[in-house]
Amino acid sequence: MPPQSGAKVAAFEYIEPATLDGAFDALQRGGEEAHLLAGGTALVLLMRLGLVLPSYVVGLRRIEGLREIGISKEGGLEIGALVTHAEIERSALVQRFFAPLAQTFGHIATVRIRNQATIGGNLVHADPASDPPPMLIAMDAEILVARRGGTRTIRAEDFFRDIFDVALEPGEIVTAIRIPPSSPGLLGTYVKFLPASKDDFATVSVAATVRLDANGGCQDVRLALGSVASTPLRARRAEDALRGKIMTREVIEAAATIVAEDVDPLDDARGSAGYKREMARVWTRRALEKLVPG
Amino acid sequence: MSTATQTSQTLPSIFSSNELRIDGREKVTGEAQYAADFELPGMLHAAFTTSPYAHARIVSIDLKRARELPGVHAVLSGRDIGEHRFGRRFFDRPALCVDRALFIGDSVAAVAAETREIAEAAASLIDVEYEELPVIFEPDDALAPDAPILHEGIDRYYFHAGKRAAVPHPNIQGRRVMVKGNIDEGFARADRVFEHTFTTPRYHGGYLEPRATIVWIDAAGIVHVVATNKAPFALRDQFAICVGIPVESVRIEPAYIGGDFGGKGLSVDEYPCYFLARASGRPVKYVRTYLEDMRSSTVRHASRTTIRTGVTSDGYITAMDAKIVFNGGAYAAGKPAPTLLPGLDPKLPYDIPAGRLERTSVYTNTVPGGHMRAPGDVQFIFAVESHIDMIANELRIDPLDMRMRNAVSGSGSDFEDIPYLEPSAREMLEKMRSASGWGKPLPPGRGRGVGFGVRHIGGGKAEVTLRALPSGDVDVVTGAAEQGMGILTLLQRVVAAGLDLELKRVNVIREAAMTETPFDPGAGGSRQTHVTGNAALDAVRRLREHVSVNGWPKDVPIEVRGVFEAAHGHEAAPHGFCGFVAEVRVDTETGVVDVLDVICVSDVGTILNPVAHRGQLAGGFVMGLGHALTEELRVREGKIENPSLADYKLPTQMDVPPLRFINIENIAGPGPFGAKMAGEINTAAVAPAIANAIADACGARITSLPLTAERVLAALRL
Repeated sequence: MPPQSGAKVAAFEYIEPATLDGAFDALQRGGEEAHLLAGGTALVLLMRLGLVLPSYVVGLRRIEGLREIGISKEGGLEIGALVTHAEIERSALVQRFFAPLAQTFGHIATVRIRNQATIGGNLVHADPASDPPPMLIAMDAEILVARRGGTRTIRAEDFFRDIFDVALEPGEIVTAIRIPPSSPGLLGTYVKFLPASKDDFATVSVAATVRLDANGGCQDVRLALGSVASTPLRARRAEDALRGKIMTREVIEAAATIVAEDVDPLDDARGSAGYKREMARVWTRRALEKLVPG
Repeated sequence: MSTATQTSQTLPSIFSSNELRIDGREKVTGEAQYAADFELPGMLHAAFTTSPYAHARIVSIDLKRARELPGVHAVLSGRDIGEHRFGRRFFDRPALCVDRALFIGDSVAAVAAETREIAEAAASLIDVEYEELPVIFEPDDALAPDAPILHEGIDRYYFHAGKRAAVPHPNIQGRRVMVKGNIDEGFARADRVFEHTFTTPRYHGGYLEPRATIVWIDAAGIVHVVATNKAPFALRDQFAICVGIPVESVRIEPAYIGGDFGGKGLSVDEYPCYFLARASGRPVKYVRTYLEDMRSSTVRHASRTTIRTGVTSDGYITAMDAKIVFNGGAYAAGKPAPTLLPGLDPKLPYDIPAGRLERTSVYTNTVPGGHMRAPGDVQFIFAVESHIDMIANELRIDPLDMRMRNAVSGSGSDFEDIPYLEPSAREMLEKMRSASGWGKPLPPGRGRGVGFGVRHIGGGKAEVTLRALPSGDVDVVTGAAEQGMGILTLLQRVVAAGLDLELKRVNVIREAAMTETPFDPGAGGSRQTHVTGNAALDAVRRLREHVSVNGWPKDVPIEVRGVFEAAHGHEAAPHGFCGFVAEVRVDTETGVVDVLDVICVSDVGTILNPVAHRGQLAGGFVMGLGHALTEELRVREGKIENPSLADYKLPTQMDVPPLRFINIENIAGPGPFGAKMAGEINTAAVAPAIANAIADACGARITSLPLTAERVLAALRL
């Protein structure tokens, strides 16, 4: 049984390797007991609540090369796993690449958390109410993962397996997030529905990207929602309903209605399942309306 | 703001400038000592084993493994210390449960060890065998004729300074019925009769500082207690009675308190820490986590209120019959009133010709109810003020006009026929009307609502000592606890004004609550400016008797003690009236309520600490805003589902709308220089103002707090 009070976390060994290889060694030594710590805003909270009781914590902050934001030769954006939310929010490079992405990171928690928490830590924590995942899915991002002697990429959409559970194998570390070159004219938005306090997790959140062709038809449309299932949810059926069509009120409403059918929310302090389902419809429609020209 | 006009004296100029808090520097620099900051040589740390069941018999407790853990100095169960119950008035809560645990989080065993980590590890090694018992979560179930009785031994419990009133069911904590006039005749005169029911949830005080304590016993056998308790002298009595030692052997040491809001009137962990200190011979410290504070200290009572009101067709109230049932939780220990109900008798700003008010608090297997800012009023005023608007709507009368027709005037009275002295209800309603642009059309989706209330000004007895020194300085000695309201600064300013001294000549000294220290009743009931302030003024008068023509006593040093006492009598008394007009916008697709503009009109008398006063009014509103829109301690099957400030949503700065304050200062109160009170004047009327504004905006009437977006949306679809 975990401690009832959570006043102090149990003692644990803490090491800070200077290289990724050092981190792989540490992960191997720690085995199942090992936990990685990036910004620490989620892990320390879970430890204080007694929900995670690691005996071996591997701090990543001394590792070089995980803090950069850059543009690849192909024109894609690459964000190191240890870049903080605040750095992304304020980055001129990210703003130029795709302003709605920078704005999404400005919605997360509070400025104190944004100054400390990292994008890699956020993704691995896999809280379904988190803000970055829907937008990264809507931008078709890939997550770069390193292990001893190799790397691989996982599409953001495939990364989340369940609440607090991601598609990482033992010994793997997220090193960067790669976003493909933005097609000219791509539009995007992220809306976060906060019906109680402005300082809260979303009751429902919606990320949408779309490129309109010469006739005003929807191309490259991607929709993803937060807080409506055990993982961030890509709304593919709604995308199908939009693809190639002009975003009239009827088309948008139809897509939003499909989203409401496809979500699978939980009852909790931020709303009943039924309310969240309905809000998924309302906020999908409102997100899409923001992308209609004029 | 209008300038205060005093009938008996001119206001000293010191009160027209903003105060510099004398505890401000210490607090800003981190030098201020709060209970959690105290460190003593040899100090041990406590931890507790608590009941995971809402109602269970303790079959056996095995302490052996905990006692064997290295670093552990004392491990105690309720059976080791015996039955020691504590409370503010009624001593029904055990220091450690002996035979039965009555709610999830009830303490059943305690450990003192070298470190908190060891103490917690030891507490987790304590093996308790429980037998689950039938549970009661709601008052209706508790009041069933065959309901399990939660306190079998209730007749043996100690009731401080008086006798517990007889109750018609063993699961009732307290019950009081007030009757005025002939209610049947009143209803017979009515053209229409309306009845509505309202509910409010449990709220937590949301103070920054969770409860903390350190207890030690010195070589002379004196027990020293540092506590997060706003009423140290009351705690001293409670402590001595509970643990069974003479009151002269107890000292409650002064410590700053990081927010109170009523809940810090009850100490909980001080008692088991005493027994741990006695068993180990060491000082014992305990600092609650926030989770523990939310789960097992005290909360504002959840309530259900049913009101039936008779009115004439033009909106005059002829009779009102109201019943309030409070969910009192497992223990009544947190309630100081002799009735064992939250707060004193509630009042209304209306002339009720005939009325009946029945209040009942009931034992259940849930977190105990206690006091929180304007206890009882928050529940009752929400119900009455929503009810008045619902009636006005049915009668097609403007809600502000309906209030004006019934506003208490010179001859008015409350449920017990006690006249108000100089009631300002009509003047206040006029100000609310003119300042808000009442009646001016609003765009679709927007609405205005009014909420109005009145509250007594707290009484009690207080003492303050003044010491005139050869240097020309004056020491002000007080046993009051500074829980944040600014009492130390207030005493400095009152004494400086009274003696016509520069502020820097007046030093305020906090002393432990013990026999020699000037008595203080503690913050609560918005009494401190009134009674402690007047005790300081009385001391000033006594010192002035010694003052020679040249302005300073001949025989310094000299010490005088001022005394003031104000009973909650049955004679006419000044009151604090407060009203709000809120303007809201409702998103009818989501139910989200945006509060756009708020006017707060308060009848406050003379303002002595302008900055702190403004803070009280703004803070009182924000607390009311949280009650209205976002806060609810969610309890399911006795378990608190959101015991953290991540999930229990207090409003943040970003959530606070523009506020406009209009203070009526020209009706003198009973406090020093005509002061009234500020702490509890303006929390209760916020939620009904917003509920009424929502109904005005979109027709949705919500009778349960909080007024969440989801509830607004559901009400829109009715």
